[in-house]
Amino acid sequence: MKLWGVRLASIALALMFCLGLDSVASHQNSFIQRLIVLAGLYVTLAVSLNLINGITGQFSIGHAAFYQVGAYTAGYLATLFFSKSHLTGGAWLFLMMIAGAFAAAVAGLIVGLPSLRLKGDYLAIVTLGFGEIIRIVVQNQQAIGGAYGLTVSPRFQYIWIVWMLAFLCIAICRNLLKTAHGLPFLAVREDEVASSAMGVNVTMVKVTAFLIGSAFAGAAGALLAHFEGFISPQIFKMDLSFIIVTMVVLGGTGSITGSALSAMVLFYLPEKMRDMSDIRLSLLLGIALSIAFAVAAARYVMYNIHGAASKRVGMYAGIVAVGIASSYLLGALFNFAHPLQATVEGAKLRLVVFAVTLIVLMLLRPQGVFAHHEFSWDFVKKLMGRQDVKTTEVSA
Amino acid sequence: MDFPIHLLAGFEFTTLPQQLVNGILLGAIYALVALGYTMVYGVLKLINFAHGEVFMLGAYVALFVSWAFGYVPGNDLHGGTWVHLLIMLVASMTACSLIGVFIERFAYRPMRSQPRIASLITAIGISLLLQYGGQLFLPNSPAPNIDPKINPYQGNVSVTLRAPDAALLAQAETLKKGIAEAKAAYAEQLKSEKDEFNLSPKGKELRTKSQDLERTYNDSVSKASSSALAINIPKGTLIMLVMTLVLMGMLTYLVLFTKRGRAMRAVSLDFDSAALMGINVNKIVTFTFILGSSLAGAGAMMNATFIGGIKIDTFFGMLLGVKAFVAAVLGGIGNIPGAVLGGLLMGVAETLVVWAGYDAYRDAIAFVVLIVVLLFKPGGLLGSAKVEKV
Repeated sequence: MKLWGVRLASIALALMFCLGLDSVASHQNSFIQRLIVLAGLYVTLAVSLNLINGITGQFSIGHAAFYQVGAYTAGYLATLFFSKSHLTGGAWLFLMMIAGAFAAAVAGLIVGLPSLRLKGDYLAIVTLGFGEIIRIVVQNQQAIGGAYGLTVSPRFQYIWIVWMLAFLCIAICRNLLKTAHGLPFLAVREDEVASSAMGVNVTMVKVTAFLIGSAFAGAAGALLAHFEGFISPQIFKMDLSFIIVTMVVLGGTGSITGSALSAMVLFYLPEKMRDMSDIRLSLLLGIALSIAFAVAAARYVMYNIHGAASKRVGMYAGIVAVGIASSYLLGALFNFAHPLQATVEGAKLRLVVFAVTLIVLMLLRPQGVFAHHEFSWDFVKKLMGRQDVKTTEVSA
Repeated sequence: MDFPIHLLAGFEFTTLPQQLVNGILLGAIYALVALGYTMVYGVLKLINFAHGEVFMLGAYVALFVSWAFGYVPGNDLHGGTWVHLLIMLVASMTACSLIGVFIERFAYRPMRSQPRIASLITAIGISLLLQYGGQLFLPNSPAPNIDPKINPYQGNVSVTLRAPDAALLAQAETLKKGIAEAKAAYAEQLKSEKDEFNLSPKGKELRTKSQDLERTYNDSVSKASSSALAINIPKGTLIMLVMTLVLMGMLTYLVLFTKRGRAMRAVSLDFDSAALMGINVNKIVTFTFILGSSLAGAGAMMNATFIGGIKIDTFFGMLLGVKAFVAAVLGGIGNIPGAVLGGLLMGVAETLVVWAGYDAYRDAIAFVVLIVVLLFKPGGLLGSAKVEKV
């Protein structure tokens, strides 16, 4: 009974959060609304990719393709049938989410099948290839706009539906991990041969992961098409896949909490950089060198200083402080060189940030910020000093 | 079931030999880049995603050297010599090997104890960093290109496979005389006319006649030339092919007949055992990166210099890198002759797709080949099909 109460309460809480967000956002301007919607979509994308990459351990870098399949399915269906359907916006959007999810799941099945034979980096490059093939094919179909893009005529901007999808995705992934249905996924990630020896149907698990993950990406794509009112193959380039992968990797491969949080952070920071003023190249170079030295120093501390963790925390803080100071100092120094006085727009730095995040993260903490850990109330209680907590390690 | 011949009706079979040659020339570049992928994969079992970006930086180095020689836009210089080209080649190869070694030392070596996927993510990160970070520091809009005048070897080498139809040529020859007469008559008439634009009826008739004759002549000349089968190869790309063969010969010598090459093969066979046998593994990995990256640099310099009008930007190496990687997989990754074979096949496949009229899909063919190879012959054409044990 208690379980049901908790469940109903969390569902109600999620609904209230979404509706609250919707009503708050409706007073904001369209730019902020767009940010909130895209953040929700990125959370969905990152969490659904996390199911494939982190939980099942099938490294896929073609997630943008499923997003694209969903978006184009919804967009094309809307131009064909919406005017005849006599449906309300919400119902139509719901229908389109299902259609987009279905189409993307079919694509996911097609991509998932080779994953039965490939693993590791080969699988990564095949998923990348599938993504590019889908994009090039879409680019050459004149019926859906080709390279010019497709205008999706009725635009529905329901923020709460976007965030409900994100919560649904999180809930499904979380429940999968917490129940016996999810254990085979973890087993396949840890050791394929051993898990198949224990009776896990490895094929089934991998294909299921691809199906669920791509279905959510497709549903997110359907929402994107109806929110933006315009989609083009340019949106779904390789870069987008890399961005989603960065989100998953930063959060910690296998951690739903990590994926969701890092999706929001990594989405918001670069958007913030769009309206940043121009930056001098000298300062950029200073920052780059400081990051390099800070990473080297942090690695040194990590591998050579032993003893209490608190000792190292102080050193890390020192490294960060010195790094920030030295980036400004070096920037001022480089400013004497004439060609480095040129400026660049902050918007050009967006993908540089992703690249630097990936490299620094891999060098310092390859398992991601949260590693396999999840947010739990038990952990919070532990932090607050309550001792009577039974430790529940779901995924070690 | 009979073959649907009408599907082939649109194909221009007379241009096929030319396209095959173009494909081999394109494939030579792919092969050079694929060698870098295949050697690094052989030694480290890592897909060096940043290899395409090393290629891109090599093109930029060649561009900067050509600028240093004074071939900047707007500066109309002539008289580039082979010395200029050689200096560009050497500079590009040196710079690329330095960049490759730098990337290996500071990005890949720290990741060696981590799972392979971590190295792959680092490689993707480096690749993105060079593409988008390079945009900040390198000239890219408008995308520059290397002044083709620095290449002294202009013009084509033409090989005739089938002479033009003699009857058509003779017909054209007879028409030529008639044209000269008609033109002379028209010129004669022009003298008596007031001006060129208000001709008398007789003048108009003469003009129409001479124009008609000229049209028929041009028509028969083009018919005659399309009945011929000739291959035109720009001299620059021929040099490119020869240089590629020379470099591959040098590589074969280095890998097969030197002590260090033997050590490299040992490391690629078994990394840990090689280390136990007293091979300095780090040195060999560095050596591998020097070889692979310098080949990419050579490929980049030749591609950007000898193929006219190629614009260089920071995404110059991205697609080419992926295609070269596919070539390496096609030939059997880790296998050096396989990379060359795969590169040539990829080049031919791509030009054939363009020749068949599916120009828009020329970039997709690489991925299709990749998926087909991995699904049906994961070891590649020349590689051994060994099952990966866990």
